[in-house]
Amino acid sequence: MTTATAAAPKPATAIEGILRSTLYLPNLQARRKTSVLEELVQALVPAGVTRYPAAILDLLAQREALGSTAIGKGIAVPHARSALIAERAVLVARSVRGIDFDAPDGKPVQLFFLIVAPSVGQDPIYLKLLADIVRAVRLTKVRQRLAEAPDFAAVQEALVHAAAE
Amino acid sequence: MPPLSEQLQALVRLQDIDLLLREARDPKLAGEEARLGFALENLGTVERTRKRLASQIDDRLLQTYERMSQRFDRVVVSVEHRVCQGCRMGLPTSSASRSSPEVTLENCQNCGRILYRL
Repeated sequence: MTTATAAAPKPATAIEGILRSTLYLPNLQARRKTSVLEELVQALVPAGVTRYPAAILDLLAQREALGSTAIGKGIAVPHARSALIAERAVLVARSVRGIDFDAPDGKPVQLFFLIVAPSVGQDPIYLKLLADIVRAVRLTKVRQRLAEAPDFAAVQEALVHAAAE
Repeated sequence: MPPLSEQLQALVRLQDIDLLLREARDPKLAGEEARLGFALENLGTVERTRKRLASQIDDRLLQTYERMSQRFDRVVVSVEHRVCQGCRMGLPTSSASRSSPEVTLENCQNCGRILYRL
């Protein structure tokens, strides 16, 4: 006798399939740009995303040297691709007090979305993740929901819903 | 899996920076980032970092990398399930290795790319 095996539902958006509770930092301790990047990158190690945090931190610092990844309205999206990244990942983090991240509007950043991916040629999903997150957080209601989210599930719901709209 | 040797790690970091610079110089990719609100402007700072990093790499290894960079976007590639992620060819049980005074490297016997295992 055979049994039908239900296929796993395919994520509707690039964001939906990638967010993980182990990559959520609701209360960043860092107060400066360099130390917040360090705090974000360190969180990738226990999640199995990289074994080389120092190299990833250096690469993100180089990306910041090209121009800040803060986009204004309290949001920053540091991102980089590296051969030392094992798998594509998005880390979401919040700072209650906000951190100066050289934003174009000069405002401190409260919400960080760190996007990392392996450097394996062209990666349209990496670019789509970047675009989906930026588009989502440009909406005031999404930023509000993220700022007030009580837990990871609420953050995930807010982002997935916004990306699917 | 043991950690990568310092020299191989430095080479991978150099390649990461080269990718960053290539993307920043690519009008299409830089344009996409700009549309999203990200600036890719101060290439000089990153170019100086590249120079500094390159000076830390064994001369012969660096020459090999620079020469192969003319042929491949990615010279240093990972091995997954005994498959070179550069040319996608399976690797034989014993792989070729190239030695320099500082480091012994494994190369893909098909494409010659430098291999690493994450």
